[in-house]
Amino acid sequence: MRTWHKLSLAAATAAATATALAEPADAREQLRLVGSSTVYPFASYVVEEFGATTQYPTPVIESTGSGGGLKLFCAGDGTDTPDITNASRPIKVSEYDRCQDNGVDNITQAVIGSDGIVLANTANAQRFELTLEQITRAVAAEVPQNGELVENPNEYWDDIDSSLPHNEILIYGPPTTSGTRDAFEGMVMEAASEEMGYDGAYTKIRQDGAYVPAGENDNLIVEKLVQNTEALGIFGYSFLAENRDRIQATRINGVEPTPETIAAGDYPVSRSLYFYIKNGHAGKVPGLYDYVELFLSEKMIGDMGYLKDEGLIPLPAGRREQIRQSVLNQEQLTRLEVKTLNQ
Amino acid sequence: MAANLQAEKRIRQRYRREQRFKALCIGAITLAILFIFVFFADIIQRGYTAFYQAQIQVEVTYDERSLEIPAAAVSEEVRPLVSRGFLRQVPGHVQSDPDLKGRTVTRWVTADTGVNQYLKDAHTGLSPQEKATVDKLHEAGRIEFAFNTNFFTRGDSKMPEMAGIKSAVVGTILTLAVTMAVAFPLGLMSAVYLEEFATDNRFTRFIEVNINNLAAVPSILYGLLGLAIFINFLGVPRSSALAGGLTLALMTLPIIIISTRAALRAVPDSIREGAFGVGASRLQMVTHHVLPLSLPGILTGSIIGMAQAMGETAPLLLVGMMAFIPSAPDGVTEPATVLPAQIFTWASMPQRAFDELTAAGILVLLAVLLTLNATAVLLRKRFERRW
Amino acid sequence: MSTGQIILSFLAGLLPLALLAYGLGRRRALTVAGGQDRALHSRPGFYGWYAVVLMAAPAVALALLAALLELLGLIDAPETLILAAALALAAGGLWTAERTIQPGLRARNIVEGAVRWLLITAASVSILTTLGILLSILLEAMRFFQMVNIWEFLTGTTWSPDTAFLGGAGRGGEGQAEAEFGSVPLFAGTFMITAIAMAVAVPIGLLSAIFLSEYAPLRVRGAVKPALEVLAGIPTVVYGFFAAITVAPLVVDVATALGLEASYQNALTPGIVMGIMIIPFISSLSDDVISAIPMRMREGSFALGATPSETIKHILLPAALPGIVSAFILGVSRALGETMIVVMAAGLRPNLTANPLESMTTVTVRIVDALTGDQEFSSPETLSAFALGLVLFLITLVLNTVALIIVRRFQQQYE
Repeated sequence: MRTWHKLSLAAATAAATATALAEPADAREQLRLVGSSTVYPFASYVVEEFGATTQYPTPVIESTGSGGGLKLFCAGDGTDTPDITNASRPIKVSEYDRCQDNGVDNITQAVIGSDGIVLANTANAQRFELTLEQITRAVAAEVPQNGELVENPNEYWDDIDSSLPHNEILIYGPPTTSGTRDAFEGMVMEAASEEMGYDGAYTKIRQDGAYVPAGENDNLIVEKLVQNTEALGIFGYSFLAENRDRIQATRINGVEPTPETIAAGDYPVSRSLYFYIKNGHAGKVPGLYDYVELFLSEKMIGDMGYLKDEGLIPLPAGRREQIRQSVLNQEQLTRLEVKTLNQ
Repeated sequence: MAANLQAEKRIRQRYRREQRFKALCIGAITLAILFIFVFFADIIQRGYTAFYQAQIQVEVTYDERSLEIPAAAVSEEVRPLVSRGFLRQVPGHVQSDPDLKGRTVTRWVTADTGVNQYLKDAHTGLSPQEKATVDKLHEAGRIEFAFNTNFFTRGDSKMPEMAGIKSAVVGTILTLAVTMAVAFPLGLMSAVYLEEFATDNRFTRFIEVNINNLAAVPSILYGLLGLAIFINFLGVPRSSALAGGLTLALMTLPIIIISTRAALRAVPDSIREGAFGVGASRLQMVTHHVLPLSLPGILTGSIIGMAQAMGETAPLLLVGMMAFIPSAPDGVTEPATVLPAQIFTWASMPQRAFDELTAAGILVLLAVLLTLNATAVLLRKRFERRW
Repeated sequence: MSTGQIILSFLAGLLPLALLAYGLGRRRALTVAGGQDRALHSRPGFYGWYAVVLMAAPAVALALLAALLELLGLIDAPETLILAAALALAAGGLWTAERTIQPGLRARNIVEGAVRWLLITAASVSILTTLGILLSILLEAMRFFQMVNIWEFLTGTTWSPDTAFLGGAGRGGEGQAEAEFGSVPLFAGTFMITAIAMAVAVPIGLLSAIFLSEYAPLRVRGAVKPALEVLAGIPTVVYGFFAAITVAPLVVDVATALGLEASYQNALTPGIVMGIMIIPFISSLSDDVISAIPMRMREGSFALGATPSETIKHILLPAALPGIVSAFILGVSRALGETMIVVMAAGLRPNLTANPLESMTTVTVRIVDALTGDQEFSSPETLSAFALGLVLFLITLVLNTVALIIVRRFQQQYE
């Protein structure tokens, strides 16, 4: 009989564990967010704050890229799809149509602020001053010369323009998989390529050693910049803010990156950041609009907001108020608006 | 005489060569041991500062305004010195204790990471004015170092002073529970089959070769397997302890099988023959005699396998366990992270304050792993039986 | 109900049933034997287990079959229905067991047979794992090779997936240069770092093993051997942090002092640190083979007047060579597949160079980078991870087989 006892004890324990581990039924309790890796640091800050200050559980956030996020977001209206997707560009008409086709017909768009990308060198050297075209000529794999594309011959900055210093071109930048690289290619190379005589948007970066992809540990890039006074690094604006004592930002098209110039769009390497809300989930997933309200509150995206310290550049106060109003009224995004946004 | 001299010379030469070779060997091992010391000294020196943290004594005003804007709860002078992680809790304090409303309380709270870094002589983002305030308060005894409880009681955070390892530890425990729940019984049964039941045929030999190969497959390939089979095909939630645990289970399985087989083989055949002699079936022989006798060896092998799974990172990155997890997961299907993945995440954070946290996380991980390995060694020593 | 709940309710239903089956089977056996267990063919407990087997086996088989068919999309039955059917089958099995228990029933043999099959199933999981690795990698690699020529992948010297990424991010367009997937620079980086690692690990590891087995007094050996094994227990992510934070700046400083220019993500740093990681691997395997050489061979050599070092060089090392070579090969295969150290300390730049002070990238770094990035799963850059994984798998497979053959064929056998 002893075995019998032991067995029943073991079975009871196992059954109890199984019940304890069982998941709650279909309805999701946590918000699910996907989307851009550029927005990810800001959104995860809000996610943490939301979990810490409300009675709702901490939302689940995943970095999938803007395109990937919108793809998941538009896959359907069921609770197994994300509630919010972050994006570093406005939704495209084709994506919007796909959303509509899959029954996601009521979405709201929120703009949270701007993001800038800076080129920086060590604070001990002379400050650089470049144009978008000069940067593109420095990093592109091929450059147009006499009407045709040739392999990038520029080795020194003064090869590009004699007014630039005779410094070796050496740029530490994000690797192919990074959102910052995506942004850099879009805002610098693509923006400059049309006037330069490329055949359409050109975004291929050279591989001969002048552009060094440097990933995970950005602090090492700073070390390198401090040591090699000729080198430049490509960073998100927040990283510059963190390391102002050691590096200085390059003026691009004559504009220095400051929160003001970035928010106003004067600094050319800046863009707006967005997130999209699935209104169909508003009643089904608890806390959806509480999260949105927190994200859009002054203490987050305002002039003194926490996200400013993380590198987000706040919008002008009037615009913030206007966005807050329209988003919290769950204003539906129309196809016409999407079209104008993409022009 | 000449021949003798020459022979003596040659002998001396040979002895010198002997000395040189021995010195070389001692040099090699000294180098290896020296590295261990340098390594531990380096990590400890980088990490020990994370175990204490600056605290600041402030007057917290719980009035209407501070419920609206929590930052208004403390005076303007010290506001940038107080952790935002504390300020955001201010409305929560009143909610849980309504008596606080309208009162002003003096309390010790976590200081901002800038203060922490400044007092630890690291890079800080504080302005000269703020630095002066910190110096003043520090002298007045209103800023002091205390044990960093946040590091053990909180999950990951964007604020270095609020970041801790709790959610990673819980995630590690859940993941390892899944790993061992799958790998231990499967490994044990495979080993028992191969050692006690299988006849030496092609199938058996195939399995043996296969297991040896699996033990040497790079761990990252298990990550590809986990991604393709568990997540994309079976639909296990990404980043969950279940996905990570199953992946690690397959990785640990060969280690457990190999060590269990060694333990079973150490039991002499006389025990088996004795069991058969009194009429036991094969199953009875195994469960009543061989398994109890080889248990210490089996446990030792499993602990070592578990320690290896615990330190593994690469396959887990591929199944999405490098996630931002501020609060500890409640179940195996919720997104989770593990200690090594947390270390990796912190190591790639841009804020420099995370460097000491990374090293401190490493210290915790190493302490646990060394304890596990030491337990395994002790277990082997204590219960090892020579037949 | 979610799949997880289905599985849990299945187990939660099966467990009490199993308990019930064991109790009922045992009691039934004693009843039919009239309370005298000597009348039974097997011990009463076996009849309990017999009932459990009869109850659980068909239910589990049905559940697994249904799950498999559903996953393959062959059937689409509601999960609750399958659950109910499986539990009903279990009850039926239990009833059959109750009916068939007789004193003469050879319960022990039946249970033994069932356990044997259970064990075979468990042992087959390792085969399934290999199959799983091969299949999962192969299928995705095939998709990649539909987009990229396999010959170009193996022999191309330019790795530049930029444009593939743009396609994934939704910005692909006309007029862009083609993405190139030539894996030679990646493998060159991998082999370079492996070579550096082995150059560190083999001399130190081998000489340490010789010291431990031939020169060290027992007490020193007892203290030093576990200390060396500590090195093997350090997680690779920790080595990676150490390499990136401590060793890399050191290497750069030394190189600068020597008038050389070094990148912070040079290949030397991960190579050295990886070598340190492999030391205990080489030393303990070599120590084992050297210690296994019988004493009489040493004594014979000493009797001829050889010094210890001469004995080692002329007698012991040649005898232990097959084992040492196989340890070396296993070390190489470990270095090739090592991931975290290179992810944290090596560069991301595909670079075909012989200068270890330059930044270069490896196969495993690309795999991690491609699969933790932002691309869509079906983009060529993501799928390239599986193609690289396939090559890596084949290389380690060949290396392991070679090591095994060397040991089998050349290892000296002492009786």
